[in-house]
Amino acid sequence: MKYILFLKQCLRSREVHLSLLLILVLGMVGIFIGKRHLDTQQKAIAEVKEYQVQHVDRNVALHNDDLGLLLYYVKFAFINPTSPLAGLSIGQSDVNPSIKRITIKTFEAQKYDTDLINPTNLQSGNLDFAFVLIYLVPLLIIVFTFNLLSEETETGTWRLVAVQTTSKLGFIITKLAIRLFLIIVVVTFLFLISIIALGAPLSTNLALMYAMALLYVIFWFAICFFVICFKRSSGFNALLLLSVWLLMLIVLPAGTNAYLSSKYPVPEALTTAIAQRDGYHTKWDTEKRPTIEKFYAHYPQFEKYGYPTDRFNWLWYYAMQQMGDDDSKKEREALNTKIELRERHSSKIASWLPNMHLQLAFNRLAGTSLQQHLDFLNATEAFHEKLRLFFYPAIFEGQLAESIDWSQFEPEYHATDDKMKPISLVPLILAVLVMVVLAVPKARKL
Amino acid sequence: MKFSNIRLLATHFLRNAIKPKTFYLIYVLFLLLTAYSAISGIQNHIAQNEIRKEHQVKARQSWEANPDKHPHRMAHFGTFAFRIGAPLGMFDHGLERFTGSTVFLEAHRQNSVNFSEASFSTGTLRFGALSMALLTQLILPLVLVFIGFSSIASDRRNGTLKILITQGANWFEILVGKSLGLFTVALLFFAPIVLGITMALTVFGNIDTAYGLWPRFSLLVLGHAFFLFVVCTTVILVSATSKTPKSALLRLLGLWLLMVVLLPKTAQAMGNYWYPTPTKLAFQSAIEQEVIQKGDSHNPDDPYYNTLRDSVLAVHNVDDVTELPFNYGGFVMREGERITSTLYKKYYADLLRVYQQQNRISQFVALLNPYMAIKQFSMGLSGTDFSSYVDFQEQADDYRYELAQEMNELQMEYISPKRSGSEGKVHVVDNGHWQEFPDFKHRPMTFDQAFSSITTAAFAIGLWLLFLFGSIWRTAKKASTL
Repeated sequence: MKYILFLKQCLRSREVHLSLLLILVLGMVGIFIGKRHLDTQQKAIAEVKEYQVQHVDRNVALHNDDLGLLLYYVKFAFINPTSPLAGLSIGQSDVNPSIKRITIKTFEAQKYDTDLINPTNLQSGNLDFAFVLIYLVPLLIIVFTFNLLSEETETGTWRLVAVQTTSKLGFIITKLAIRLFLIIVVVTFLFLISIIALGAPLSTNLALMYAMALLYVIFWFAICFFVICFKRSSGFNALLLLSVWLLMLIVLPAGTNAYLSSKYPVPEALTTAIAQRDGYHTKWDTEKRPTIEKFYAHYPQFEKYGYPTDRFNWLWYYAMQQMGDDDSKKEREALNTKIELRERHSSKIASWLPNMHLQLAFNRLAGTSLQQHLDFLNATEAFHEKLRLFFYPAIFEGQLAESIDWSQFEPEYHATDDKMKPISLVPLILAVLVMVVLAVPKARKL
Repeated sequence: MKFSNIRLLATHFLRNAIKPKTFYLIYVLFLLLTAYSAISGIQNHIAQNEIRKEHQVKARQSWEANPDKHPHRMAHFGTFAFRIGAPLGMFDHGLERFTGSTVFLEAHRQNSVNFSEASFSTGTLRFGALSMALLTQLILPLVLVFIGFSSIASDRRNGTLKILITQGANWFEILVGKSLGLFTVALLFFAPIVLGITMALTVFGNIDTAYGLWPRFSLLVLGHAFFLFVVCTTVILVSATSKTPKSALLRLLGLWLLMVVLLPKTAQAMGNYWYPTPTKLAFQSAIEQEVIQKGDSHNPDDPYYNTLRDSVLAVHNVDDVTELPFNYGGFVMREGERITSTLYKKYYADLLRVYQQQNRISQFVALLNPYMAIKQFSMGLSGTDFSSYVDFQEQADDYRYELAQEMNELQMEYISPKRSGSEGKVHVVDNGHWQEFPDFKHRPMTFDQAFSSITTAAFAIGLWLLFLFGSIWRTAKKASTL
């Protein structure tokens, strides 16, 4: 009975109504936007599959007797399939392409090609579920709780309560618990909607996302609890909580990004781009034999094809293309090291800030993180290598295109590693504990 | 209306606002943030541009180091265009973190602009990157809300408002006076930013005069001053029309959230929804299809090129291409490049139209939202907006086309008509030609071009000023002291 009264009291205020409605609507808009993102990805995959068949057919028909030339043109698709959970947290999957179409020529020249993107969309960012959860739910919690205690003192009911209840702390905690319950209902409801709308299977990752979302909600309740225990006026509480929100969600992350990008610029990317270009193109000016020798040093199994050097031939041509990759190896490794350094640093800083940590963890679980994209690029490289090893002998032997079974070259899929150790929950749990421990001495004195 | 009253109210407001200790706390924090964003902004700007200029030189060196060779090999050797960040990017990063910096320029192919900061970043970049523009446009308004929300609402609650009115001040004076008072506070916060940029620009801002650095900067400061005035007046008006300080605060915070977070995001999302971007494959294959229809220079039996050959042979009165006075391969490639480039330009213009339609929703909403207006205004003037990016891409592609055609011309002129294929050390062109062909140089948009891209945003800010003056009149007439 007591709880129902509390609930009624909480739901009486107009601000609470409005903000609840707003969160629900925006949450659903977020899920809708996520759903659209998934649909777009699906459409793109279907397009690629259909296109590849006619693309190969057309080129085989044109260049049947010249396999080397044919493979100069033919592109093979490698796809990073989008997990339904990406609909909850679009992450980096709007910047980074999830379909790579590559030829067997120099891989480095194709590795970083981007999709068609409107940069304005990237800057404004996605209004996905993760955004609603990370930015807006804390505001809802602030609106729900900032005057939880001060309202009672300001309207004069606090003294009555103080006399009539056995435990003042118990009273406040019950009021908080009612609000926590309401928010959990909202978050759970949005999760259920997204399971249905996005067709997300009930997986460990979904459960982890849900658990993290709840921890994040509890974390914000703990902050609010800490602040209201100071027993200051409603206005002061609102200001203070808002400043905390501003600091945590805008100032600190924005400052971190400014720090990371000026601390770790990536000149290696540009150096690699030039190195791979020079690695291949300068071979046109040198003797053919040394190029072929270097090629055989990489692939001794092909040495049986000899050293044809009198005129243009595909063996030499693809050996030159191979040099684009081989000669830029040092620069490429420096680039990878730098990106990994940035990513590691970013995650390290993020684990101190629950909202950043949550964003990164959501991206990880949804398969839309930077690391997973880098994994995809590496897998694309392996796919490229596989194609090379298959086609090199065929080209060198001068096989006809029709002698190859082209139907085996359907677009291939990358298996994303979206496992996350439960240890990733620890920073959030710690954050909650710290806030509670800080609040306890104040709460005792209520 | 007495100006002395307005001045009195404004100074009084200012004195009260800067009295509490919390003000100094906020001010010092803001100064620290300003210093931090100034340093990181300047550092990043310089470092990035140095990296890019250095690589532009490197790419050029290896271009010039090419020995005598067949021009078509040079057309494929190609070069790189690196985007140079505009100096005012130190103030407003705009889209810089999201646009690529590097594009490889070669014959036959329009490559994508790669290596944006965003593509090397974890998801946290979406929280934004700290810049002086972010401080002025997004955080300072919130600070002004904190300082000004209770100005009139608390006067009303404790009864001073009645005393003020009975002692001869009128509502108009109160509203204008307090707005000016709050605006002075805003300028206290804004001044260090202006000072910082002025210094940075004096030291590091050397650039060709067409960019119009100082006119841009002056307009930028002026625009932000207007914007801050709009914010201050809004805060005072909301405070004047709210019963209690608490409700004034909640209304202002709601407004801030709506203007700064929700509207910009939803506007862009709607643009995206109504005008979806085509997939890269759809874009490329549409061009490919049309090229095949028009004439595919890589297809030996292509009817378009067969007709072309026959007519060329007829004009020169010869039977075979090897008897022509120029290299026919170069001629075909020149024709092919012309066709594919024209088609690519056509499709790319369509794609840009889609992007512009997506962005137009935001431009339209900016008429209702001064935050979005100032953001577009600021990016446009800083040279970090969408149109500056498109301008870079166009410069790069024009250069690419010239490079490819120059090489085709060289081939027609200097390579024997009897020769096909481009390999080996025979049939080459002197490498002096490589040095003759000028290097790519990214030029920022001129001031006039930039100015035309911000007219809508400037108009929106002007509109808001007018609207607020109107609101002051109306509120002054209707407001009550109770």
